[in-house]
Amino acid sequence: MTTRTRRSERQGLAVESPALALLEDINRDFASSLNLDETLQRTIDRVMQHLHVEAASIFLHDTGDGSLVCQRCTGPVDITGTRVAAGQGIVGLVVATGQAVMVEDARQHPGFAPHVDERSGFVTRSLLCVPLQTRGERLGALELINRGGEDGPFSAGDLDLASAVAAAAALAIQNVRMVRELLEQERMRKEIELARDIQLSLLPAQDPTLAVAGLNLPARRVSGDFYDFQRRADGMIHFCIADVAGKGMDAALLMTRTLSLLRCLSKTARDPASLLEQINTELYETESRGLFVTLVTGLLDPLTGDLVYANAGHHPPLLRLGRGHFECLPVQAPPLGVLPTLGVPNQRLSLTRGPCYLHTDGVTEARNPAGVALGQSGLLALLDEVDSRPLRERLPAIITALRGEQREFHDDLTLLALAPAIASQPLLSLEFPAEARRLKTVRRELSRVLLAQQLDPKDCEALVVAVNEACMNIMQHAYGEVRDGPISLDLRRVGDRLDVLLVDHAPPVDHQIIGPRDLSDLRPGGLGTHFIQSVVDEWQYGHLADGRGNTLRLCRKLCAGKPEEGADALQTDRQGRLLGGRTGR
Amino acid sequence: MRFKLTARDGFSVVELGGDVDLSCSAAAREIILKSLATGLPTLVDLSAVTYIDSSGVASLVEGYQMARRKQLEFSLLNVSEAVLSVLQLAHLDKVFKIHAAPGESPAPA
Repeated sequence: MTTRTRRSERQGLAVESPALALLEDINRDFASSLNLDETLQRTIDRVMQHLHVEAASIFLHDTGDGSLVCQRCTGPVDITGTRVAAGQGIVGLVVATGQAVMVEDARQHPGFAPHVDERSGFVTRSLLCVPLQTRGERLGALELINRGGEDGPFSAGDLDLASAVAAAAALAIQNVRMVRELLEQERMRKEIELARDIQLSLLPAQDPTLAVAGLNLPARRVSGDFYDFQRRADGMIHFCIADVAGKGMDAALLMTRTLSLLRCLSKTARDPASLLEQINTELYETESRGLFVTLVTGLLDPLTGDLVYANAGHHPPLLRLGRGHFECLPVQAPPLGVLPTLGVPNQRLSLTRGPCYLHTDGVTEARNPAGVALGQSGLLALLDEVDSRPLRERLPAIITALRGEQREFHDDLTLLALAPAIASQPLLSLEFPAEARRLKTVRRELSRVLLAQQLDPKDCEALVVAVNEACMNIMQHAYGEVRDGPISLDLRRVGDRLDVLLVDHAPPVDHQIIGPRDLSDLRPGGLGTHFIQSVVDEWQYGHLADGRGNTLRLCRKLCAGKPEEGADALQTDRQGRLLGGRTGR
Repeated sequence: MRFKLTARDGFSVVELGGDVDLSCSAAAREIILKSLATGLPTLVDLSAVTYIDSSGVASLVEGYQMARRKQLEFSLLNVSEAVLSVLQLAHLDKVFKIHAAPGESPAPA
């Protein structure tokens, strides 16, 4: 009603023109309607009535392949949904060239495709087809068929009118598409915000009373990294850090799935290695489009600093032994989701000598304005720098330092720090050259200190054998021809066990070559590693983070804490009692 | 390490003493092989050995193998607890002939 009123007002002011009135109606309709399909339908209905044509249709691109599909039509035959390949038929030609076609007898036109007529029985005679286009973009075409009545075939005026209608329709279609895109972007933005909120809610709250702190900075709104820690009922802290390949929404979803699996399965898993095996099985069985996850998970006893962990393809934990002095243990399994089984071992660390740091790529890949990545050496220097701060302040201080250097973060960045409540003091610290004649002094010093601890003589004897053999291995296999390279020894008592850390500065050693041999093969040599394994409860090889040295940890549980111990400690083969199999192999 | 090579009652006797470790196991090996070169059955007296490591044990194993090739007897004498526990670690306590008393004559191989 409003439209009519306005048109009559307009009629009072201007020369009445049915064509102008039609265009005005159509434009007003496009401007006010929110339903594009209905508006297009009304448009072709109006054009059909106005020009007395038998049929009218609008074809639009709907996919990226250039084909056209009939969106709306009016006339005796419903061709809605009819698809025309790119450049085919008169419609295809018009869209391809951007030039209108107006013919008296379409069947004489070289582009005419007769199959629609043949199928429907409709007879196409005169035809007017104009492109729907906006600035440079061809959206489709408006096609009018069989100009009827007494007006004869299509005229130049009809062409002008159809072109004007097509321009209005094209603009409306473009606007609607832009609005849809904006709405979609807004919807996506809200969903990503929501996803980010959910991700943030999955990260644990920082707890200054815990011996662990974490930090995560996503490169985009959502992150493919994560960390987690929780205090269990028995006081142990369960922790993890992970990096999903990629940094978009797909990585974020896989991250959430992995974290859910981890939280769920950790309630029943025997140890970190079996937990990773279970997660790996779940991730491997479901297609994750080539995405994979590197993950370290473990348990920290905050009172003793004992750490047992398993590492699936992630950067090794960095254990700070002193300024510029970091130990890292080799990674022993591939990332999660790549192979059907991991074969990951439990690895052990004692944090009594210093804190342990875990990180993701984003940290070491943070680039300064000159484009130089921080690298592991840069990270180690920063860890030295922040060491005097309380644990919870160290990770934010690292970020502050990185920002101070104007480093750009291209990848998600995650850090986790673990430290025991109390650091223990060494019972014995020795540094001596790798010379065989020094071994006697080392054995004597070690015996003296151990006997002063009033330990069972079997414990003393066992540890002396293990340390002696380990030092021999360093001299013979690590240093080789170098006769006086330094070896340092650090002995600590942690609860009911003795911990020894031996560090050399020899080139990295392949520990496979000094593995224990089959004792039934009677021959000299190759016994040392067997001796070590027989008298200690745990042993683990590692290397210094700068690649210039090897570490060996030996741990013996004291006889007093082991009522089942047999008559002779040295005769007891301890390997069967190791939790989760041997470490360090 | 201290060592002495003597012939006694038709045996070649190697006396080792002190700590038999990496610093001297090559010398221990040499003296054991020298003893076997005499063509006499060899007794290795370990009564004065205070410590033996895997390299020292390896010298004993090499002597044992050489003796077998030469079809000579090769026995250990006066094995202290410290040495015995190390031989047990290597599962060699049942491989070597071990005699406790100095006067006891070794059984035939």
